[in-house]
Amino acid sequence: MIEIKDLKKAYNGVVVVNVPGLVINKGESVGLVGNNGAGKTTLFRAILDLIRPENGEVLSKGENVAGHENWKNYTASYLDEGFLIDYLTPEEYFYFIGGLHQQSRAHVDDFLLGLGDFFNGEILKKGKYIRDLSKGNQCKVGVASCLLQNPELLMLDEPFANIDPSTQFRLKSLLKDLNKNKGVTNLISSHDLNHITDVCDRILLMEKGKIIKDIATSSSTLNELEEYFGVGQTQTAPIKVDEEENH
Amino acid sequence: MTATFIRHELKAFWRSKNTGKSIAIRVVMTLLMLYMLANVVVLGFFLDTVLEKIFPHDDIVMSFCGVILVYYLLDVFMRLQLQELPTLRVQPYLQLPVKRNSLVRYLAFTALFSFFNLWPFILFVPFIVKIIAPDSGGGIAFAFIIALAGLTVFNNYLALYIKRKANLNGWIFLIVAAAIILIGVGDFYLHLYSIRAVSYLFFGHLIHQPLLALLPVALGAVMYYLNFYYLKQNLYLEELGSRKASKYKNSTDYPLLSRFGVAGDLAANELKLVLRNKRSRSALIMGLFFMFYGLIFYKNPQMGSEGYKVFVGMFMTGIFIINYGQFMYAWQASHFDGLLVNKISFTDFLKGKYLLFTLISTGYFLLTTPYVYFGWRTLMIHSIMFVWNIGINTTMVLFFANRNFKRIDLSKGAAFNWEGVSGNQWILSFPLLLAPFLIYLPCALLKHEDIGLALLGITGIIFILTRSFWINQLEADFNTNRYKIAEGFRNK
Repeated sequence: MIEIKDLKKAYNGVVVVNVPGLVINKGESVGLVGNNGAGKTTLFRAILDLIRPENGEVLSKGENVAGHENWKNYTASYLDEGFLIDYLTPEEYFYFIGGLHQQSRAHVDDFLLGLGDFFNGEILKKGKYIRDLSKGNQCKVGVASCLLQNPELLMLDEPFANIDPSTQFRLKSLLKDLNKNKGVTNLISSHDLNHITDVCDRILLMEKGKIIKDIATSSSTLNELEEYFGVGQTQTAPIKVDEEENH
Repeated sequence: MTATFIRHELKAFWRSKNTGKSIAIRVVMTLLMLYMLANVVVLGFFLDTVLEKIFPHDDIVMSFCGVILVYYLLDVFMRLQLQELPTLRVQPYLQLPVKRNSLVRYLAFTALFSFFNLWPFILFVPFIVKIIAPDSGGGIAFAFIIALAGLTVFNNYLALYIKRKANLNGWIFLIVAAAIILIGVGDFYLHLYSIRAVSYLFFGHLIHQPLLALLPVALGAVMYYLNFYYLKQNLYLEELGSRKASKYKNSTDYPLLSRFGVAGDLAANELKLVLRNKRSRSALIMGLFFMFYGLIFYKNPQMGSEGYKVFVGMFMTGIFIINYGQFMYAWQASHFDGLLVNKISFTDFLKGKYLLFTLISTGYFLLTTPYVYFGWRTLMIHSIMFVWNIGINTTMVLFFANRNFKRIDLSKGAAFNWEGVSGNQWILSFPLLLAPFLIYLPCALLKHEDIGLALLGITGIIFILTRSFWINQLEADFNTNRYKIAEGFRNK
């Protein structure tokens, strides 16, 4: 689905992303973890052709994302509130996004009906512009607009950060359902290790722009990650990418 | 505490985006201010001569006394539009152990630091020293200055009070502005009453009864306390900010635009952007004021030449393209990333822009049709310039939009807001203003005005017909700049 070759991005001489090679296969559910400043969001932006890398390229279905627009047909993403048109009401926004994918209003309405639980009655028909919603509710709008697009590749940057516990659980089951039953490729970053190991079957750990671990999720993954982020912080240096586990 | 506030405020000023980071903008700002100040100083020094020229039959002191209130009426009007609310961002202090009174006092007090409060003194004090002090003595002159100070403080807080109220309800601003204009019209056009007579009534008596100076001071004090208590009562986050839980926001759609497909949807979104955000809305409303532009020029026989009509016609029908277009695409800065990753082709994006420009300019064009009063030819020139605007100026503005990397915060007002301003806007103004005259002027000089006008119209039509070509050019141009634009817009 996604193939990254020799990707390098630097700001003011500081390398923030340096990924020599990474392949994400169709149907995989990939979680991206790492401390602040590890380069997760920058990597996302590079995959979405929002920044020009110094070096390397990102291929989506074998086609370079830079200079091509086909990837937009099957990729849905929500990185931050900057993806939302904040002076629209949620309904107007959903109709707009649906319209881009040739969906009629009735179809959009129908789809939103199915998200009633996820919205928990806080999004639709509230008479608010998106900018007047709380951060958590904005996140719900962003995620819902992604789902509306019936993507083959779904990219979410820290979707669990601002939403309430009930929504977190609903989002997790939504993501699992999309991945298992509809074959959607997920690429999700999070600081919540419990959630990410629960949802994803492959975890990428980033540090200072590099992917230093690439592991298939197993029962020991959570412990391994907790060790890295917690007490293990002092001994990270010797950890290298394990070739065996590298898909 | 106050000293800390002032330090923070100074930092906020120098570090804010509005101030503009580039030195060029600061220099231009300072020069503009100095220029205005110099004008007022000169006017102040020669006020006696000026007054003699305007009112040759009246006693000079009498005409001076008459002018003062007229000035203050104008002053309120100017302040309403231009004076900024002192917005110490109180939010970070509200939960800290800082007394409410000291916060409010500081907010109310700093409001006095405004250029507007200097002007009446620069303007009137030289006259008072030159004429009134020798005539009536230092005591009376002092009383005059005290009265001026009182009125200035009164005006200052009156304007702020109205602005604060208007922040909650936009209609208040319009009502007050209309009231002031009506007062002016009632005096100078309809001669129902005379503000100058009222002004003379007070200041004329002040010469004999200096204690009257306490009246404006009392007015000023009352206004200050009104402000103080209003602020104190409303020192809550939801009331200070623009984010109030206000009335139900309806979803709207424009059936007319949805017929144009994705481009129509994009234009509809941008129309909502214009109408639902403060700064873009003021760009639209400012355009309405420009509709009176023609009255100023056309009524003046010295400016009756058709060259002025070309210029004025271009401004009136294209004001939105110029005023709003010059900051493109920064209006969409806050969600530009979203536009880039969504399934929107840039061709549609541009078509949406053309659609929006055409739509709103047509509205303005229709508003200018009453100028047919100045002859059918005037209307014809306006129509030609309207075609020119949607043909050429739109394309020109979009070309420069590809070079605009400065973010704009939509929620801030427009007056004295330098956010999003860069060299780009200055450069843009040259081709925008010069292009029509490059075609028209040579013809006019050769006494072939009609040919000049025809050429303008034809050029406009050619550009409209070849629009898809220009869209392709703009798209290719955009693709070389897209990362830089997106990066600039991400920079808060």
